[in-house]
Amino acid sequence: MSLKMKLIPLALGGLLTTAVLVLVAIFVLRAWWNTPFEVFGFGEAPEQPIAFPHNQHVQIDGISCAFCHRNVTEGDAATILPVEGCLFCHATIQGDQAPPEVAKVVAYFNENRPIDWKKVHRLPDHVQFAHEPHIRFLTQVQGLSIEQSCSTCHGNVREMVEVEQVRSLKMGDCVDCHRNNQVFTENKDITDCTTCHY
Amino acid sequence: MANEHKWGMVVDIDRCTGCQACVVACQAENNIPINEEKDFLSRRAKQWIRIDRVWEGEWPNVKARFIPILCQHCENAPCEPVCPVYATYHNNEGLNVQVYNRCVGTRYCANNCPYQVRFFNFFDPEWPSSLWNQLNPDVTVRSRGIMEKCTFCVQRIRRAERTIEGQRGEELSDQKLKEGNFMPACVTACPTDTLIFGDMKDPNSEVSRRSEDPRHYKLLDKLGTDPNVVYLKKVDPHVVEEAHD
Ligand code: HEC
Ligand code: HEC
Ligand code: HEC
Ligand code: HEC
Ligand code: HEC
Repeated sequence: MSLKMKLIPLALGGLLTTAVLVLVAIFVLRAWWNTPFEVFGFGEAPEQPIAFPHNQHVQIDGISCAFCHRNVTEGDAATILPVEGCLFCHATIQGDQAPPEVAKVVAYFNENRPIDWKKVHRLPDHVQFAHEPHIRFLTQVQGLSIEQSCSTCHGNVREMVEVEQVRSLKMGDCVDCHRNNQVFTENKDITDCTTCHY
Repeated sequence: MANEHKWGMVVDIDRCTGCQACVVACQAENNIPINEEKDFLSRRAKQWIRIDRVWEGEWPNVKARFIPILCQHCENAPCEPVCPVYATYHNNEGLNVQVYNRCVGTRYCANNCPYQVRFFNFFDPEWPSSLWNQLNPDVTVRSRGIMEKCTFCVQRIRRAERTIEGQRGEELSDQKLKEGNFMPACVTACPTDTLIFGDMKDPNSEVSRRSEDPRHYKLLDKLGTDPNVVYLKKVDPHVVEEAHD
């Protein structure tokens, strides 16, 4: 074998390694700056204890977001309706005709156990977020409806079966919007670090 | 963007009884781990506000003096320019801010602070499991390797802004802070009104009026740090006489 022939597998191996490394680098950088690509289970919504379909409740049953996420217009956390709240409707919607997942909801209620929903959106602990000022701003200043205001950050939950994160909600994302809307908050600097970090 | 506030504090040493209520309140509000004896002995105890006790005079005429010392939120803060990553800076409300997640733990700032009110996390904070539920969700738990210090309870100021300015559309003032229980934890806890918090920019606020008091002075004023915490001297006729001898 000539030297040239010997070098070919080496070159091919090098190319392959480089390609893999570049792909990994792209994946890591994209996950860092935005949301990860949805491969190998990354970036997908976590598995919930009960397969709760938003589209059924919002689109078909016509329940408003603020009915189940009661605190969203008042406080920091949106909160999720406790299992007693699900029983408003599922006390009657259960039994043989109802979808099988509903039995789980009723079981949680009968066992007097809260449903341990997995968090889909999660900011790191060092970031403080509050829903109320955003909903106030989006509805009062931008004139959106409550549901449209949620879509600004959470995407079209109305049509989602399983909620998943659609917007990166990294610091750049938050600060971009804060910088653009600084004019609406008269004597408060919402790009100051202490808006979100303390 | 002009901001209307400049937060400050007045500490009337005449009233301080050294009861440590402020220290406990601060500890609970700001997720500061419990200081044990060994922490004090190794000089790694964290107390965002502490009561310095000073003995004055010779026995039997000794007097215990108490001076609450917290971050002075200096306008000319020595800790700020030495930070290589801009994790500590002065915001336009007169607060000296520490951005925990930006901090890389060089400890230059603590070395440069003449008041010794910055604390380094040499270890990860720990609480007994019975206390986990008392942690304040509005305050980040600082992990190992970063600096922390008094924030003037900025989480309470932010909450007050959201409630008073945002929801009610009213002006934020110290009176409203007090009514809504938005004062810093140490101030709310102080039984003798030694600590008074408020807006130094508002000429009618209690802090502005009190800081004009003839007894006023600033800690280590000669260093020119221009603190936002004003102290009111202890008036003690006995000592004044001695001083004139
Ligand atoms: C306002 C009434 C109402 C409330 C409140 C409500 N649901 Fe439902 N839910 C319904 C209706 C209507 C259906 C459709 C039942 C059917 O298809 O027969 C449904 C269906 C479901 C299903 C089955 C979906 C499927 O197709 O598999 C699950 C799971 C469920 N709900 C969970 C919950 C949980 C958990 C809560 C509390 C957070 C809740 N629901 C609150 C009205 C409600
Ligand atoms: C019937 C009650 C109900 C209604 C109506 C409802 N949700 Fe939910 N929502 C839930 C429950 C239960 C969960 C937790 C399960 C999950 O994450 O899928 C949830 C989860 C979420 C999450 C993910 C939370 C996380 O963990 O990060 C978002 C975002 C959300 N809802 C937005 C909305 C929006 C926007 C609307 C209105 C279009 C809406 N929801 C209407 C009950 C409801
Ligand atoms: C400015 C962007 C933004 C808007 C607008 C917004 N959210 Fe959120 N939401 C977030 C972020 C960021 C989180 C993650 C919070 C965390 O991890 O602390 C979150 C978390 C949630 C959660 C789960 C955790 C919790 O807070 O209980 C629910 C439920 C939720 N949002 C519902 C809603 C609904 C309903 C609306 C519309 C009324 C809405 N959100 C509007 C950004 C937004
Ligand atoms: C759609 C644009 C938009 C996005 C995206 C957004 N914000 Fe905001 N945010 C605002 C506006 C406008 C205000 C000021 C509301 C007011 O006080 O009137 C605000 C206020 C806040 C406040 C309250 C400040 C206070 O007074 O205490 C916090 C905290 C905050 N944002 C954090 C975040 C974080 C964290 C994110 C990213 C996950 C984010 N925001 C994304 C527009 C946005
Ligand atoms: C509008 C809200 C907002 C403001 C204002 C803001 N941040 Fe952040 N910051 C965030 C969010 C959200 C994250 C979390 C990003 C993530 O999910 O990794 C973050 C993360 C960080 C991190 C960690 C970066 C990382 O990759 O983990 C640092 C450092 C930081 N911020 C510093 C600052 C400094 C310094 C300022 C002031 C100049 C500031 N931030 C102002 C929202 C904000």
